[in-house]
Amino acid sequence: MADGPLIVQSDKTLLLDIDHPLSDECRRAIASFAELEKSPEHIHTYRLTPLGLWNARAAGLDAERVIDTLLQYSRYAVPHALLVDIAETMSRYGRLRLEAHPVHGLTLVSSDPAVLREVTRGKKIAPMLGLQIDEETLVVHPGQRGFLKQALLKLGWPAEDFAGYVDGEHHEIALREEGWSIRKYQSMAAEGFWHGGSGVVVLPCGAGKTIVGAAAMAHAKATTLILVTNTVAARQWRDELLRRTTLHADDIGEYSGAKKEIRPVTIATYQVMTMRRKGIYAHLDLFDAIDWGLIIYDEVHLLPAPIFRFTADIQSRRRLGLTATLVREDGMEGEVFSLIGPKRFDVPWKEIESQGYIAPADCVEVRVTLTEAERLNYATAEQEDRYRFCATTLTKHKVAVALARSHADDQVLVIGQYLDQLDALGEELGVPVIKGDTPVKERERLYNLYRSGEIKCLVVSKVANFSVDLPDATIAIQVSGTFGSRQEEAQRLGRILRPKSDGRGARFYSLVARDTIDQDFAQNRQRFLAEQGYAYRIIDADDVLSKDN
Amino acid sequence: MSNSSISFTEELRNRSDDEIKALFTLRPDLIAPVPTDLMALAARANSAPSLLRARESLDKFRLDILTAICTLEEPISLHQIMSVTANEAAAAVNSLWELALLYKDGERYRIPTNVRTLIGENPAGLGARSSKPVDFALLSQAPKGAVETLQKMVWGPPKGQVSDVKKAAPAIKWLLEQNFLLPFDSQTVLLPREVAMHMREGRVFKSLQPTQPLVMGVARKQKAADLAAIANISTFVRWAEELGHNWSDEPPTALRSGGLGVRDLKRTAEHLGVLEPCAAFVAELLYIGGLIVIDTDDQILPTSTFDLWLTKSIEEQWLALTSLWLETSRMSGLIGKGDSKNVAALGPDLDRGGVATLKKAILGVLRDHPEVDPTLESMEATVAWLLPSRVNRDYIEWTLREAEWLGLTGQGAFSSFAIAFLSHEELGIEAALPKPVDHILIQADNSAIAPGPLTLELANSIGTIADIESRGGASVYRFSEASIRRGLDHGQTGDQIKDFLKKISKTPMPQPLEYLISDVAKRHGRLRVGSTNSYLRCEDEGLIQEILHDKRIDQLRMRKLAPQVLIADVESSELMRVLRDAGYLPAAENATGVLISAPRVRRAKARPRPPRVVAELTNPGETLISAALRALRAGERASSHKPREVPRTTANETVDLLHQYIEERASLTIGYADTNGGVSNRLIDPLSISLGTLVARDHATGEITHFRIPRITGVSPAN
Repeated sequence: MADGPLIVQSDKTLLLDIDHPLSDECRRAIASFAELEKSPEHIHTYRLTPLGLWNARAAGLDAERVIDTLLQYSRYAVPHALLVDIAETMSRYGRLRLEAHPVHGLTLVSSDPAVLREVTRGKKIAPMLGLQIDEETLVVHPGQRGFLKQALLKLGWPAEDFAGYVDGEHHEIALREEGWSIRKYQSMAAEGFWHGGSGVVVLPCGAGKTIVGAAAMAHAKATTLILVTNTVAARQWRDELLRRTTLHADDIGEYSGAKKEIRPVTIATYQVMTMRRKGIYAHLDLFDAIDWGLIIYDEVHLLPAPIFRFTADIQSRRRLGLTATLVREDGMEGEVFSLIGPKRFDVPWKEIESQGYIAPADCVEVRVTLTEAERLNYATAEQEDRYRFCATTLTKHKVAVALARSHADDQVLVIGQYLDQLDALGEELGVPVIKGDTPVKERERLYNLYRSGEIKCLVVSKVANFSVDLPDATIAIQVSGTFGSRQEEAQRLGRILRPKSDGRGARFYSLVARDTIDQDFAQNRQRFLAEQGYAYRIIDADDVLSKDN
Repeated sequence: MSNSSISFTEELRNRSDDEIKALFTLRPDLIAPVPTDLMALAARANSAPSLLRARESLDKFRLDILTAICTLEEPISLHQIMSVTANEAAAAVNSLWELALLYKDGERYRIPTNVRTLIGENPAGLGARSSKPVDFALLSQAPKGAVETLQKMVWGPPKGQVSDVKKAAPAIKWLLEQNFLLPFDSQTVLLPREVAMHMREGRVFKSLQPTQPLVMGVARKQKAADLAAIANISTFVRWAEELGHNWSDEPPTALRSGGLGVRDLKRTAEHLGVLEPCAAFVAELLYIGGLIVIDTDDQILPTSTFDLWLTKSIEEQWLALTSLWLETSRMSGLIGKGDSKNVAALGPDLDRGGVATLKKAILGVLRDHPEVDPTLESMEATVAWLLPSRVNRDYIEWTLREAEWLGLTGQGAFSSFAIAFLSHEELGIEAALPKPVDHILIQADNSAIAPGPLTLELANSIGTIADIESRGGASVYRFSEASIRRGLDHGQTGDQIKDFLKKISKTPMPQPLEYLISDVAKRHGRLRVGSTNSYLRCEDEGLIQEILHDKRIDQLRMRKLAPQVLIADVESSELMRVLRDAGYLPAAENATGVLISAPRVRRAKARPRPPRVVAELTNPGETLISAALRALRAGERASSHKPREVPRTTANETVDLLHQYIEERASLTIGYADTNGGVSNRLIDPLSISLGTLVARDHATGEITHFRIPRITGVSPAN
């Protein structure tokens, strides 16, 4: 014990000293039951959560093994209370089971009648349950599978779901590994998902989540519904599937504002799914249009609330969530867990980077000093306008232009929040601007020009935050953002993380106005990446400007 | 019943000093207070409360033996006792005699009268004796059902219900006719003791357990138990500290019925990251120790005792709380239980008698079974044997749980620290704690990790400039604008903070942190805040100047803050008065918005009033017992003279007699009047007379005492 790499804290966090010789071994051992919270340069933090422990139980790990692992690697004595707590928590999983009964359909079963009685007394749960068949078995109203699981989880008695999944309509899908091959972590992620039944795979931007989706489809070999954030992403999915799998163009349909195709593999946008006509969600029937064998949720951290509700209805279908940043600013991580499924795979960004699958990135915070006049204006601005004001100052504009020009030979993206700011930048730099009202066709054209290198620089709004694949972009200049959103910062960095053909690193500039609320937001925004081990360095805008001159 | 040839008192009188001392050790309540003589001692020893206490101290085997003895006719021989119980009874009988629950009449034993009452009317389920003869041979001819009826009643209770004794079923009728059963009233029949004993084959009990049952459980290594215990100890002390600090920041308000509300308890538990019973336990111990108190305004706050406690080493902190736990009668496990009403932490409903005894018994069992994490069932069985009248499964469970929280046990097994604690030896906790580290690791996300316990000094320094995020073996700190500002508020400069961090960090300081510190330092102190009692403002700057230079109001010592504002350090009413006196016409202004910051660290004003503790008698020390015995013997001698009143003597006679006895070195009895005029007899050895005072050794106390001669009412020789 004495000198292990792990420190078990009484608040159930585990600190892993990664400079320790045993750290790698320990990391693999604890990854199965503890959730990676952050992974900066020296000490990684994992957390023991009920969800994580139940997850481990679901994967066949028992409390004894978990406790042994902790004791084996711990540097200091582990508080006994914590061990007892682990055993207790883990023993709660599986006392309740959801099973398919040959006669009664979906049933809630427990060998412990006391637990069954406790949960059925819950006001929220009682209406979901029907007849009591015997001491240990209760009928569950059809269609309540998801809601029941969600409610039981909240009560702390997670149900083990043995009710199985429908196979869906068979459709032959296989990976076509020609000139490329699936990476180890990708196939591990797909397998982790497949054995778990449903769940979420977390991989950094640019690490090839689409391939994981394709591999999952190859496992399922069934009709698949893919939900994505926007039409551009839908087309990218389509292209990627055509390239990587045995699917043909007419197997794949697009269900978006523009087209309403339903094919064995259908790619739909969140926007169209949540579109309401006269207060009714008009396109929800899509969930029932085909006997889907698999539903993939791309960018699950952005999944809109209505989709959660529909997802509760389709618990018998396999569900795969994909994201780089399982951070929801609305705190709905619990819903993702109980409705989509638990986290099946997660790996630190820096590890993928060290394997060479994402480009190393240099994060730079550029501190911009406002002029005296700007400061005064900022000080007197209304509270709600302050961020906008300091994020769009003229000084910032100048610095952004100077930076973009200094990287004239690189593929540059200028990313921002405010359209007039972006327009002004586009005009000054003489490059196209892509924003919400840019037609999809035009967007695709511009992206293609950018990919081919005919355009060296693009100014984009938040429409390009995610799901846009621009492999050769190496420089991103962020001029403004959605306040303090952590996942946005990570996703924007993700735009330039595709490994470069020449092995170059990427650089991410974030322009921050000094001594304003911009700086506070910036700190919050950077937190996710800092926790992933991306150390920002700070430079002064004056250095940029003087170099320019 | 005891028509004895020797009385209980006489038998006690015949006991040797050592035997009496042993009795006092076993039944300490007998010398609280010290009885005046052996008659009083006998009465006390035979009194219901004292007997009840004595019975509680009996283990199951001795209690069974005593019960068996109560079924016999006095005087009782040891042989008789062994024949109805077991051969191991001899030692138990002797122990019962030592406890004065039996007394000797020659070679045989008798029972003090009230002991029978204590054991009850039907000892071991045996009914009264029958005066009618019974022929057991007849049983072989008994009608159907008769033997079965007897067998149903044989292990008690000895009474059975029938619809009507006179029209009983044939089997019962036969039993009644043959005197195997006796009619008790019209609907009750009684199984006589002789019949029951016959059916029990002469044994009072089906089975007896002469020795303590073995404790079963999971085997643990002492080293592992100690390691776990040390983790528990440091965690517990940290919980206590954390709770005190938390309640200082957000003091809960006591319920009207006393104690801590459920919501506050929940919040505290969440803050500590423990379950509610554990949080309640920590709060209770702090409360018992006077470290927190319910203040006069019903706020529950830490006291200055808490501050003192904080300065101690972990070992001392732990010892202070654990000693309290061992003695307290408050059972914190009850919190949140209770059917009709919720029992509140720090509330009035937590006292339970005998809890400390139970705890000590449990710890004793744990100590006697090292390297075992006993199961609750096994512990319950053992406690049921040791303290048959105190066994309570919940209490045992809670005590084991609390012992684990406190680190008396580690992984359920008794730790070597607990052994040292029980025997008042050097605890060795400090040495067993992990070695403190003297460095931290700073990471790019503005967090710092101390990979082990920090030295107190270092922890304090970092604590002022960073917020603690996670505790345990290591500490995780987070730097933020607010935490850096706090460091600056404590008088450090930005450079000092940077230098300090560079010095103690093993890793290079990340640039964003350096910038953060510089940024905050740059802005810190640009705004100045002060407080004043009153201000004067006027839009006419000329008038302001005039007032500032007015000699008549010099005493106000006003200061100009801005062209139109003056401040003064006097109350606004005083300022108004002085200005009016000087002929100005000021008007009062509503002063809301003037911030007077309250002290940040709040402490109770009241002195600690720890909750009442139901006292349990502790074992008296050797000196106390000897003193009690001396007093008793003296009282005995004094009382043996009592029938003879000390004859009144005149002052001269008294002095003469005293001189005479001093020369003869004889003991004597004197009548001595106290300040109220009451006369008591004292048995003394006179030593000398000087200045109208007799110096003598008082037999009652064994001390040299001064008696004023005018107060001596009479003198007579002792014996």
